[in-house]
Amino acid sequence: MTEIAKIAIVDDEVHIRALLEQTLEDLDGEPEILTAANGAEGLALIERERPQLVFLDVMMPLMNGYEVCAAVRSNPDLAATTIVMLTAKGQEADRTRGLETGAHHFVTKPFDPDEILDLAREILQAS
Amino acid sequence: MIKASNYLKPAWVRRQFELAFPLLPPGTSAALWLSGKLLAEIGGAASGLAEDTPGAQAFHLVLEQERVGTLLLSSPATQALDWGKAFAHALQGILDAEHARRSVAQETLESYREMALLQRAVTELNHSLKPAAVAASLLKEFDGRKDTAGHGAVFLRNPDSASLELIQSFGEDAAKTFARLQGSRLFAEMATREAGDIINDLPASSQWAEEATDFKALLWLPLIAHGENLGLLVLASRHADGFAAGDLKRAQTLSSVAAAALRNAQLYAAEQDMFQSFVRVIATAIDAKSPYTAGHCRRVPEIALMIAEMAHQADSGPFADFVLDEDKRNTLQIAAMLHDCGKVVTPEWVVDKATKLDHIENRIHLIATRFEVLRRDAEIALYRALAEHADGDAARRIYQERLQQLDDDFAFIEKCNLGAEFTSDEQVARIQDVARTTWRDSRGEAFPLLTENEVYNLSVQRGTLNPEERKIIEDHAVHTINMLSQISFPRSLRNVTEYAAGHHERMDGRGYPRGLKRDQLSIPARIVAIADIFEALTAPDRPYRKPGTLNWAINIMHRMKLDNHIDGELFDLFISQGVYAAYAQKHLVAGQIDDVDVARYLG
Ligand SMILES: [Fe+2]
Ligand SMILES: [Fe+2]
Repeated sequence: MTEIAKIAIVDDEVHIRALLEQTLEDLDGEPEILTAANGAEGLALIERERPQLVFLDVMMPLMNGYEVCAAVRSNPDLAATTIVMLTAKGQEADRTRGLETGAHHFVTKPFDPDEILDLAREILQAS
Repeated sequence: MIKASNYLKPAWVRRQFELAFPLLPPGTSAALWLSGKLLAEIGGAASGLAEDTPGAQAFHLVLEQERVGTLLLSSPATQALDWGKAFAHALQGILDAEHARRSVAQETLESYREMALLQRAVTELNHSLKPAAVAASLLKEFDGRKDTAGHGAVFLRNPDSASLELIQSFGEDAAKTFARLQGSRLFAEMATREAGDIINDLPASSQWAEEATDFKALLWLPLIAHGENLGLLVLASRHADGFAAGDLKRAQTLSSVAAAALRNAQLYAAEQDMFQSFVRVIATAIDAKSPYTAGHCRRVPEIALMIAEMAHQADSGPFADFVLDEDKRNTLQIAAMLHDCGKVVTPEWVVDKATKLDHIENRIHLIATRFEVLRRDAEIALYRALAEHADGDAARRIYQERLQQLDDDFAFIEKCNLGAEFTSDEQVARIQDVARTTWRDSRGEAFPLLTENEVYNLSVQRGTLNPEERKIIEDHAVHTINMLSQISFPRSLRNVTEYAAGHHERMDGRGYPRGLKRDQLSIPARIVAIADIFEALTAPDRPYRKPGTLNWAINIMHRMKLDNHIDGELFDLFISQGVYAAYAQKHLVAGQIDDVDVARYLG
């Protein structure tokens, strides 16, 4: 990681954005954390900023997480972007669909902050 | 330390500066520092602007009495100061609100963290119903973590003595170091406390410095479930600042789950113990019922488990795929202990029937008495002849011949009664002859020397049991099935009845009670059958029979293999893996152990 890492959080719920952001601030190297409040805005943000890592909610207005994920995956410029999907508890069946659209990891909400940090470190180190 | 630089986004501050700048007198410069980080600056003189820059004005930003940042302003015009004051006030307000929001968020994240930990722990720690496995899972939560304690141990209280016993541990030389700790006054103190705690920097403690020299910091927690103190979790570190409050909290969350799991494990173990002891009581009762089968129900499981273990270890041949897991082992042991439980309803006089005339009592004595009557009759006949002046010599000869015949007949009946040898058709005819002899009571009424029932029993050609009695004996296998199928075994033991019920079946389907064939019997059921026979043949403690030798027993079993009575593959395993020899070493008496020609039986 020579340059400062970029992480995007795309979720329509403000508290999830705030909590994820606060969690990710504990990462070393002070990565730049970007947020978007719906799918369309999120896709634009990802295309513009090309973050290494995206936390992507499934259920969102305008464009849901699967659609954003599929759009990101179909864009060769974004091949280096790793997508972590945020699924609601009890909706683990969403994972199959997420995998099909090209998500790499899944985290259930409410998320375990330690799990988020471990996952982010692992992904940023690999990129 | 509060990291205020995260509280405001640099882009937002920059935009704020840009919007305000046109309102300020020309020549003004401004900069915002938060937590030692320059967030934004504006104006010609801004770079290098510091508190001690001449003419610079500093407005301090404070959170929780801590100075977290500074708005620096340098301007030729004094009204810029008013702007600075207003802007700093607004920033302070935003920081206060953000600080409050963040502390709420922090609380939420802590709950998330604990919830996630609990969710995982409940699954992990309830994975097993073995106390040692629960303890191992608990320690796994601490072993190898980046903030690791380095050492950890779980002690469980012995329910009888209440003393703490080391069950699981991790770390370099863990067993030794924790044993030393266990001997210390500090440990005794930890064991009595009702709540957990941390001691950091042990070497600096005036009270405990001498006590735990292996470690520099300790964290401990009693494992309490339903108000019962089950044991102690101890984490130890070689760093003086080994543990923080967060570590204790995390350990508390995990320990509460672990304690509940341990309690379940202990309750389960107690249930198992109780069940096992019931099984033992039944086995002991059957063994005690008859001197003919003493120790049988205790020894059959031993043989069965030895055979099963060998089948499990085989990685080629017919038992390559046979796996003896823990459930199967328990099932087999219980089945082998209970295989003859149906014998509790078998009348003892049948089980113990040593002679053909046994019926509660050996009835040979009644017959002996009748022979005695005939002897007296002969004697009376002699005296009567002498008194009538008949030919004395002839009368004496007749008397002697009569006595001789009676003695011969009685000796013959007595021998038949033992059932030790095959009784031929000619011998059956002779029994009927003897029965036709009559004796008279004092009123002159005539009776046959042997009753119909006595003739029937004496005419049994093999052994001592008549067909009805043989049926009663064989019925024990039916009773075993009936009794065992009434027990509601847990899933893990659901095969007990099948394993136990087949011990008198034969591979060719000519056994009892169901006449099942080899492929209708599970391997463990066939194992119980072989163990049953081997035990019966080699039992050293049977009355009226001297114990059979090893070679004699195996020879009989070999014939049973050739007859398709017992499972040939199991017999081969039994011989080739030396199961018989290992068992003989343990349970047979010296006179029984002779050389077994293994090669001959494996041909
Ligand atoms: Fe039996
Ligand atoms: Fe038996």
